[in-house]
Amino acid sequence: MTTINREVTPQGDLPENPERLHNDLHEIWGNPRGLKALTIVNHTTLGLRFMVTGMVFFLIGGLLAMLVRTQLALPDQDFMSPDIYNQVITMHGTVMMFLFAIPMLEGLAIYMIPKMIGARDLVCPRLTSLGYWCYLFGGIILTFSLVLEMAPDSGWFMYTPLSSSEYSPNLGSDFWLLGITFVEISALSAGVELVVSILRTRTQGMALHKMPLFAWYILAMALMIVVGFPPLILGSILLELERAVGMPFFEVAGGGDPILWQHLFWLFGHPEVYIIFLPAAGIVSTLIPVFAGRPIVGYGWVVFAIITTGFISFGLWVHHMFTVGIPQLAQAFFSAASMLVAVPTAIQVFVWLATLWLGKPKMKLPMLWIMGFLIIFVCGGLTGVMLALVPFNWQVHDTHFVVAHMHYVLVGGMFFPLIAGLYYWLPLFSGRMPSETLGKWGFWLTFLGFNGTFLIMHWTGLLGMPRRVYSYETGMGWDIFNLLSSMSSFVMSAGIAMVLLDFALHFRFGKPAKHNPWNADTLEWANSMPPSAYNFVSLPKIETRHPLWDDPDLPRAMAAGEHSLAVATHGRREMWGTDPLTGKVREIIHLPGNSWWPLFAAMALAVVCISLLTRLYPLAGIAVVIAALFLLRWSWENGAHPKAAPDAHVAPGDPSLHSRTMDGPGLWAMSITMLANGSFFLSYLFGWFYLWTVSPEWRMPETSPLSLVGLVVAAVALTVGGGILEKLVRGLRQQRDAGLAIGMFSISALGFVQVGVTLWVLLSANLAVTETSHDAIIMVGLAYALLHGGLGAVLTLLQGLRVGYGYVGAHAPFEPAVVAQLWRYNVVTFWIIVGALAVLPRVIGS
Amino acid sequence: MRLSIQRLTQQRVNLPGVPLALLAGLLLTGCAGDKSILDPAGQAARDVVMIWWVMLGFGTVVFVTVVALWLYAFKRKEVTRTPVQERRIARRWIIGGGIILPVASITALLAFGVPAGQRLLPLPLGEPPEVIEVIGHQWWWEVRYPDAEGGEVVTSNQLIMPAGEPVDFHVTGADVIHAFWVPRLGGKIDMIPGRVNKIRLEADEPAVFGAQCAEFCGAQHTQMQLYVEAVERDEYDAWLAARQTDELTSLAENDQQHEPAREAFMTHCASCHRVAGLSTAGEGPDLSDLGSRTSLGAGIMAMEEGAVTHWLKHHQRLKPGNKMPPHDDIETATLESLGAWLETLTP
Repeated sequence: MTTINREVTPQGDLPENPERLHNDLHEIWGNPRGLKALTIVNHTTLGLRFMVTGMVFFLIGGLLAMLVRTQLALPDQDFMSPDIYNQVITMHGTVMMFLFAIPMLEGLAIYMIPKMIGARDLVCPRLTSLGYWCYLFGGIILTFSLVLEMAPDSGWFMYTPLSSSEYSPNLGSDFWLLGITFVEISALSAGVELVVSILRTRTQGMALHKMPLFAWYILAMALMIVVGFPPLILGSILLELERAVGMPFFEVAGGGDPILWQHLFWLFGHPEVYIIFLPAAGIVSTLIPVFAGRPIVGYGWVVFAIITTGFISFGLWVHHMFTVGIPQLAQAFFSAASMLVAVPTAIQVFVWLATLWLGKPKMKLPMLWIMGFLIIFVCGGLTGVMLALVPFNWQVHDTHFVVAHMHYVLVGGMFFPLIAGLYYWLPLFSGRMPSETLGKWGFWLTFLGFNGTFLIMHWTGLLGMPRRVYSYETGMGWDIFNLLSSMSSFVMSAGIAMVLLDFALHFRFGKPAKHNPWNADTLEWANSMPPSAYNFVSLPKIETRHPLWDDPDLPRAMAAGEHSLAVATHGRREMWGTDPLTGKVREIIHLPGNSWWPLFAAMALAVVCISLLTRLYPLAGIAVVIAALFLLRWSWENGAHPKAAPDAHVAPGDPSLHSRTMDGPGLWAMSITMLANGSFFLSYLFGWFYLWTVSPEWRMPETSPLSLVGLVVAAVALTVGGGILEKLVRGLRQQRDAGLAIGMFSISALGFVQVGVTLWVLLSANLAVTETSHDAIIMVGLAYALLHGGLGAVLTLLQGLRVGYGYVGAHAPFEPAVVAQLWRYNVVTFWIIVGALAVLPRVIGS
Repeated sequence: MRLSIQRLTQQRVNLPGVPLALLAGLLLTGCAGDKSILDPAGQAARDVVMIWWVMLGFGTVVFVTVVALWLYAFKRKEVTRTPVQERRIARRWIIGGGIILPVASITALLAFGVPAGQRLLPLPLGEPPEVIEVIGHQWWWEVRYPDAEGGEVVTSNQLIMPAGEPVDFHVTGADVIHAFWVPRLGGKIDMIPGRVNKIRLEADEPAVFGAQCAEFCGAQHTQMQLYVEAVERDEYDAWLAARQTDELTSLAENDQQHEPAREAFMTHCASCHRVAGLSTAGEGPDLSDLGSRTSLGAGIMAMEEGAVTHWLKHHQRLKPGNKMPPHDDIETATLESLGAWLETLTP
């Protein structure tokens, strides 16, 4: 069987000297040292940075957990004051969820995905870098609040009105809202680029149904991040506006509703659980076939389970709110849906079982952690089904029973597979093997400690111990169970310390790993160990799901440059852009190199975050402008720009560079970004209609305060601009670029007309945004329209300039098509805003 | 947190030890205030416990089977099979374990569990049940009896309900979200500002139950507790009758020797607390029948001779962050006279 695609890389190009090729590729892809290491955009380096940073936050979160268990070890302890205790529990949840679980798994995906799908990097490398810096800075800002003793203390779910300025007047809530939103930029950017990378940059021949299961899981996770995070971002923005400006979105007296926050929070919060679980299940589905020595049975079943989990998880959020007093019918629906999610999970459990059953499983160290996962997770899944039953939920909701359940699901469903995965991939990271002895000790201490802590906690909860109490009195029958939980938790931390020690020591003392030490089937093991910055000297054509099992010679052949794109003379970072379904090559994607702009932009955003925290609003405004300028400057280095790909020459027979086609990955990145944006917009519409129909003291004027004529004029200007842009893009598709610059400038002008008129409508409406939630939420909708209109106008203006510089035109036609997507989105959402905010109230009335 | 008072006293506050030691002894022996879900005292809670035990049994069987199968997969001898056989085995596992098992379990669970939930719903009854309104404050409970004969009765931090008949609790929050939960009677329901939620509970027989705020509500969420006392119907009616405004007013004014305490009350307390006949404020807990209550500070310390004074002196240490300002500026003698007078308010 040959894996060389002879159609696109003529054999004559085969390099004579793989060593020289390696050096040439290293020249292009290699990481700079010193201060310039801050400019690195490479996925291997950034994936590791994500994971190491995630581990540091894990230690912080774990330390907080130990403080909690110390406080609760005995009744009536005053080791911590109530105030500090509340900060500690809030930060434990927040750090573990937002600064450990998600970034850690993202880091693993960022590291692994390109290697598994035969690519050389993620498709938006600078975005990886921006994501990392936002994560790091946001995480530091958030945890710094602990040092200041000003940490958020309203619980990691930040329910209003407790988190509002009236009941939490200090900066804690602001740290949470601003810090988390900042960190979420990182989650979203990783989400977008992982989706696009998986869909568009798999090596040739890797059709969707030949993709490693891990990539399916990450695809689902990334899409869920893209759709699931925006509701929380909206919620955070609204709550921060309420706190800082006094816009009463969640305040009953002002016509708001605290339950709106709960809906927005759990609209994010429940998918979040599966965002964490799916990649971990992906690790399980990757490891089990390897250690069973046979392909997974029921690949299709697993894909089906992943997709259904993704969908169902968006229909479960209300099960966190069964005690809120929502209507019976809704409770029954969400109760059944919550139980139904057990079906795809059970399918996976039995697929794994059947794979072991039909294979020859070996109990190596990673498999030990998988077994631990199974035991804990099945237990957590069963209590999950119990909790979905409303009458039972009413009893145990907000007791330690739920604390136990949640840790069974999250630690069992995320942490154990994660450690299994890290042990499995350690040889790839470092080229060395971990210590079996230390690893086994680590596992057993963690496993026994975990169960000792949390199995008992179910019982404590059933005895009536509520959550989030800083102490309890003796004589309730809770003492001994709490003491056992606390003691076990220290056993567990000793186990985790051992695992981390093993990880740290193996980099120096581990014995060198042989190539592909577990005899795995997927492409990441065709890398050198540790991997080079460009991953593969040449990119193979994939025929099966198990490239390394079916062709054990493949790694050598790839390293010898016997496959495609083994060219470095052009000085570009290149890889394949392939068809999302079939994996047929469509173009060569050239990637940008290292850059300061992501770091600078993230620093400017950090200034925005800090100045909002300290209420220095003018500084925040300036920093926003600076951040926007950095981001725009970054976008300038694209297409035919001297720093991108001024020379479009490709080897004979190869397809053209993506920036010279109408088919680049940027189109996909923009679509996925607009998907996230659309989720944000839908959440906003949900908020508007929710307040209108449900809020207890909603007040609405007789007629809409917004000028309908003004809005229609603005909408028409926007629509005409969008129409011209579509026409220009159609022209580019046919290689015509006559009048492109002037066209872009006039579209931009129309965009500014829309912005101006909308601004006039907003100002002339005399909204009393601090008086009623009605006016406040209208204000947010119009601000959204203004921001998007402004962005569209500026980007088309830049396109006009880029035509002048020669970076865009018939020879490099791709960018206007990307901008056109934003315009299309703007036109559609603006008309919806006009309809929802100005027309409907006139038609239906208050 | 009742014992913490004792510990605090020993460690930091010099108070006569005898009454407090007595107090501690009382608290240790009484099982009043138990919050175990597993010890139900009403039908709704009993149904849930039954569901729990059944679910636990069934869940254990599933759990043990799945884990045993996994472990067995590692131990069993290798068998060579044709791909067709393999596919058949895999399909059996996946359809049997992945689809039939969860779907059947869920159906059984819903068929069994949904009727149990009906009991907690305030569905119409032949005879309308007693209504008790409970309003959550940071961090105390306001309790109202709108149906009381002779006019609404208002009290705080104590809840008396008739035993052996369904009672509808109408709950809401005055500031942030709290939750009303009497574990031994069943359910819990959020107390949300701007909304009234309803839950129906019934106590089998007269007894005292612990209750607790179950939604995190800030610094003193932990010490937002309550004793719910179920009494016979006639006792309940008598209890309500004794708390009619006229009765309480005469109680507050009856004794000349407490005149200085009443004046101190009007100066220091009346802007937040109600004592029927003297003040009408509702910022803090109603104190009109304080002496007759079983606990102080929202269920955190037992009512005893000298307990009110102790609370007045040390409340910020007993319940840090509570909304009553510290009384360092008030003379000890005044606090003591206030405490003594408040303890006489026993209808």
